[in-house]
Amino acid sequence: MIRCQGVRKAFGDRKVLEDIDLEIAQGTIWGLVGPGASGKSLLCKLLTGLQPADGGHIFIGPDEVSALDENGLMRVRAHFGMLFQNGALFDFMTVERNVAFPLVRAGVPEAEALERARVRLRAVGLSGSESKLPSELSGGMKKRAAIARATIARPPIVIYDEPTAGLDPVTTSKIYDLLRADHAQTGSTVIAVSSDVDGLRSFAREMGMLHGGRLIWNGPAAAIGDADHPVVRQFVRGELEGPL
Amino acid sequence: MNGGAATLVLERIGAGVLAIAREAGGIGVLCGRVVRSLVPPALDARELKLHLYKMGVRSVPIVVLTAFFTGGIMLIQSGIFVRRFGAYGLLGWGVGYAVFREIGPILIALMFSGRVGANNTAELGTMTVTEQIDGLRALAIDPIRYLLVPRVLAMMIMLFCLTLIGDLVAILGGAIMGKLLLGVDFWTFYNSFADNLKTQDLAHGLWKSIAFGGIIALSSCHFGVSVRGGAVGVGRAVNAAVVAAAVGIMLLDYFLTYLLP
Amino acid sequence: MRPDRPAKRLLFGTPWGVSAISLHFELARRIAAQTARGALRGRREPGELVRQMYQIGNRSLLFVAVTLGFIGMVLVYQTCLQVNRITGDLSQVGGEIVKILTHEFGPTLTAMMLATRVGAGIAAEIGSMMVTEQVDALRMCGVEPIEYLIVPRFLASLAMTGILTVFGVAVALALGTLTAYASFHVNPHIFLDFDRVRFGDLVTGILKCIAYGAAIPLVSGHCGLMARGGSEGVGQATTRAVIASSFVVIVLDFGLAGLSYFLLQQP
Repeated sequence: MIRCQGVRKAFGDRKVLEDIDLEIAQGTIWGLVGPGASGKSLLCKLLTGLQPADGGHIFIGPDEVSALDENGLMRVRAHFGMLFQNGALFDFMTVERNVAFPLVRAGVPEAEALERARVRLRAVGLSGSESKLPSELSGGMKKRAAIARATIARPPIVIYDEPTAGLDPVTTSKIYDLLRADHAQTGSTVIAVSSDVDGLRSFAREMGMLHGGRLIWNGPAAAIGDADHPVVRQFVRGELEGPL
Repeated sequence: MNGGAATLVLERIGAGVLAIAREAGGIGVLCGRVVRSLVPPALDARELKLHLYKMGVRSVPIVVLTAFFTGGIMLIQSGIFVRRFGAYGLLGWGVGYAVFREIGPILIALMFSGRVGANNTAELGTMTVTEQIDGLRALAIDPIRYLLVPRVLAMMIMLFCLTLIGDLVAILGGAIMGKLLLGVDFWTFYNSFADNLKTQDLAHGLWKSIAFGGIIALSSCHFGVSVRGGAVGVGRAVNAAVVAAAVGIMLLDYFLTYLLP
Repeated sequence: MRPDRPAKRLLFGTPWGVSAISLHFELARRIAAQTARGALRGRREPGELVRQMYQIGNRSLLFVAVTLGFIGMVLVYQTCLQVNRITGDLSQVGGEIVKILTHEFGPTLTAMMLATRVGAGIAAEIGSMMVTEQVDALRMCGVEPIEYLIVPRFLASLAMTGILTVFGVAVALALGTLTAYASFHVNPHIFLDFDRVRFGDLVTGILKCIAYGAAIPLVSGHCGLMARGGSEGVGQATTRAVIASSFVVIVLDFGLAGLSYFLLQQP
């Protein structure tokens, strides 16, 4: 279970996140939405300890992320698989080496890691691209390769930061199908950040919305469209008139 | 087997030569365009002033520091000779000659290339990647006249001034180190300096600095506006620009050493 | 970097803004500590090390050859000109030039050129990895970025700087000898006088190569890891790396030259 209590983070004078309280149950799919620059990606980085929070507590299972040093954080990060916003594939490695990388670092022999990588790439629909460099892939292909890398070690917690941004509707549906299949197979806890509220609504079980640095809504995904909060309602329905 | 390897090497060499020729040609073409834009001289005075400040005033600290240490280094090198022959009276001359004619202009130009040239390439590169240059063209503003000419002029003027300042600081640095390390007092240093060095020696270096300013400016502008490929491309462009500028500085130094009195 | 505060304006252009100093020191400390540890006993990625040695060494050959070649010619020309004016006897010049190339201009000018090429290259590579979140991705895979990114470059630079210096000195001497013969009719046999090079000169030269070879990747790696903010950030990081590496080379040169002057006391 993932828990945040009173988490806050500011950059200089700019307060990005303030007083975040949330609980994410194990095995659920939690969607996070919000206007641009509302701190969604930052929250993901705080959960994994990639950035230190200014205050509050973050618990990943029994470990308190906010109190660990770099070695401890490395241990906690082993529980995570993360898809970064722009893929963040290593541009000096081929696709299959990229996907095999987490396994190799965990001690799996290289030949076995590469074989498992190829299997995973087939599962995400990228067979034939194993020896390509990331610069030779299209946007959708990069996302899929990055998803393969994030999930190859079957981590108990997976974070997808903008899994469908910039993709056409057909590819978007395919990606959500893939994420659903992965979740069904592994039962992992999934956190998905997206600006695509509609797509996320059909994928996630629970959702939260960030605005003004606070979590202004958190509940079942099916209920977000009828939220009481005017900001949430306007955002989810994409209306022009309202507090935003 | 052998044929394959040899062909590969030749291909690589050929590609390398073509790449160098392409960039050198690009710089030459840009030079021509800049010169043509200077006639008639109608440039944006505000841009020029902005760049003169950014490139000159803000480079003073690093140039002064570099020049000071350079003077110290030349002092130590001259000191080795002077100690061997006991000719302490030649110390000022030794330091002065090397600094004015060669070391001063070259090292200050290299630092300038790193500070201003690289910065300029990065700025122009970011503008290219974010399509601001195309935006200027769409507004019927000639990017060369508006963007590049003020930068080129500012760099040449400022490197001249900075080299002058730097030369003097280097001499000062040499004099101070001479006193501290070798016990040569300031008057001896100054006399040998003043007696043996002519204005011509200083001018020799200053002419070089103008030329160095030009090549740094053209190189940084050329690579800045021909950036391809986002953040990675900008980094590569800065790299290429400083390398090209360094080669250009050494080349020009060689020819000008022969041509200038 | 925001230039509003007057104090910052004085030092603008150098990455010494008041709030950034502590960040810099912290990162510098970590880089120094982890590079030392990683170099001595860390996981070795032989493929990566070779790739870096190629990037730093092979790809700089032409650049070093051209720049050191021209410098060699200018150095010989200026020196012969002056000596001609004073004593007219050019037989000593060759030996002196070999000596000074060995302990001063060879290592230092090669390092200045490498600070430009290798420094910019390392900062650009690491910087663009920072801004595209590849460094974060490395951390998520349990990799310590300093060990993975900087240590191979550090080792490669240590190895290659010395080799490139020897190469550069050779080119400078070759072209310089040519110049002496063509412009001043000095016999190459007389010019290439290696007898004057003392053990102290060699030690100084080697120490400088090691110092420069260590400093350049550390400084430019540091600048790369401090990159923030898209292509602008990469540009700034690369710029800072070039200046900082060049400046560190000059300061090290001053320090080591002074040290050798006082300790070695050679004729």
